[in-house]
Amino acid sequence: MNLKKIDVNINGKDYCLEVEENLRLIDLLRDKLHLTGTKEGCGEGECGACTVIMDGEIVNSCLVLAFQADKCRIITIEGIEDEIIKNSFIEEGAVQCGFCTPGMVLAAKSLLDKNLNPNEEEIREAISGNLCRCTGYNKIVSAIKKAASIKRGGDSE
Amino acid sequence: MKKRGKGIACIFYGTGYGNGFPDVSRAYARLLKDGKVEISVGATEVGQGAKTVMVQIAAETLGLSDKDIVLINEDTSKTPDAGTAAASRQTYNTGNAVKIACENLREKILDEAVKLLGVNTKVGLHIKDGLIHVKSYPSRNVSLKEIAENNKELKAEGIFTAQTTQMDENGQGAPYWPYTFASCAVEVEVDTETGEVKILRAKHVLDVGRAVNPTLVEGQIDGGFAMGVGYALMEDIGLKEGRMTNGSFEKSIIPTSLDIPEIEKVLIEYP
Ligand code: FES
Ligand code: FES
Repeated sequence: MNLKKIDVNINGKDYCLEVEENLRLIDLLRDKLHLTGTKEGCGEGECGACTVIMDGEIVNSCLVLAFQADKCRIITIEGIEDEIIKNSFIEEGAVQCGFCTPGMVLAAKSLLDKNLNPNEEEIREAISGNLCRCTGYNKIVSAIKKAASIKRGGDSE
Repeated sequence: MKKRGKGIACIFYGTGYGNGFPDVSRAYARLLKDGKVEISVGATEVGQGAKTVMVQIAAETLGLSDKDIVLINEDTSKTPDAGTAAASRQTYNTGNAVKIACENLREKILDEAVKLLGVNTKVGLHIKDGLIHVKSYPSRNVSLKEIAENNKELKAEGIFTAQTTQMDENGQGAPYWPYTFASCAVEVEVDTETGEVKILRAKHVLDVGRAVNPTLVEGQIDGGFAMGVGYALMEDIGLKEGRMTNGSFEKSIIPTSLDIPEIEKVLIEYP
């Protein structure tokens, strides 16, 4: 297998790595770097459990090859320092089994980084690529509303 | 054309194994040297909130704050059998075992307090915020920490067996003891050409007995509602010669955030 050299910044840390051509980004994160917060649900781009932020946009890391991350900035759940989003998820009861949670938090972050005043529809749209089998989504939506409102300067709703 | 319609459904649901099946939960409680109370509970946390609820029940039973409860959970070398996290039974069944264990521990703690407080009976003793008071004379008190320091080890067990009855040979009877009654109403819009159904509004009312943690109960309603929507409108397992024909999320569709409306939730707490 051919190896490719990549320079990638993951959660603020620079890595210079040699990766197999067919290595997926999710395997680089989980198996090589032991950043196991990123979950694999379907492995085919349908569930969003493997969501990471790549240069500001959310991607399914099961559909990205590791070498495609060359010269990119990646944020995984381990690199999220945003206490407001995390606390809102906890306070609203937006986490049940937790398998979708890393992806949901990253999708929420990517939305709120661009839009601090999203309406209900925009929030639902933003997480529509992330499947959750437990919560029925409503408490995740309220957690994101709450985080947005706190970020805008209010206390909560 | 788009048409609108409303639907309502009511159910009752039995909690626990039912049908005469042994349904036993156990828990331990132990006073620690620093005055905190450790509970050992085998109830598995699968996201329903077992860890939160068991700590709440212990704290309330003992008059402590949740910070004073140390939870040992899901460790088969330390926790007694609490049965499965299934049949919606952990909060009710193992929760009762935790309550009994803590009540038993409370009695042992009060027996020791009697000696230290110079009273002749534990009647009239009250635990609040880690202190045991004489109710009518609150300045006479002793802390759980002092009790712990004065004793080798205070611990207790709680066992709760849910009462269940076997059904008769025709499958008739009342196989469960606690039942949950629920009703759900929705308003939908149907596209008569494509058959697509959009849920516009939903309301869910549940008679839950006592909601130990209303936020968690609501989370279960939201999640259950979304699964129900999936079963009714999209989910289907295709089988051909014993093999699944739609074994991927691309073909086996489950609801996304766009398929679920906000749900008005009402909890009826009628013990
Ligand atoms: S694991 Fe990548 S989308 Fe499901
Ligand atoms: S919390 Fe279980 S899948 Fe979302």
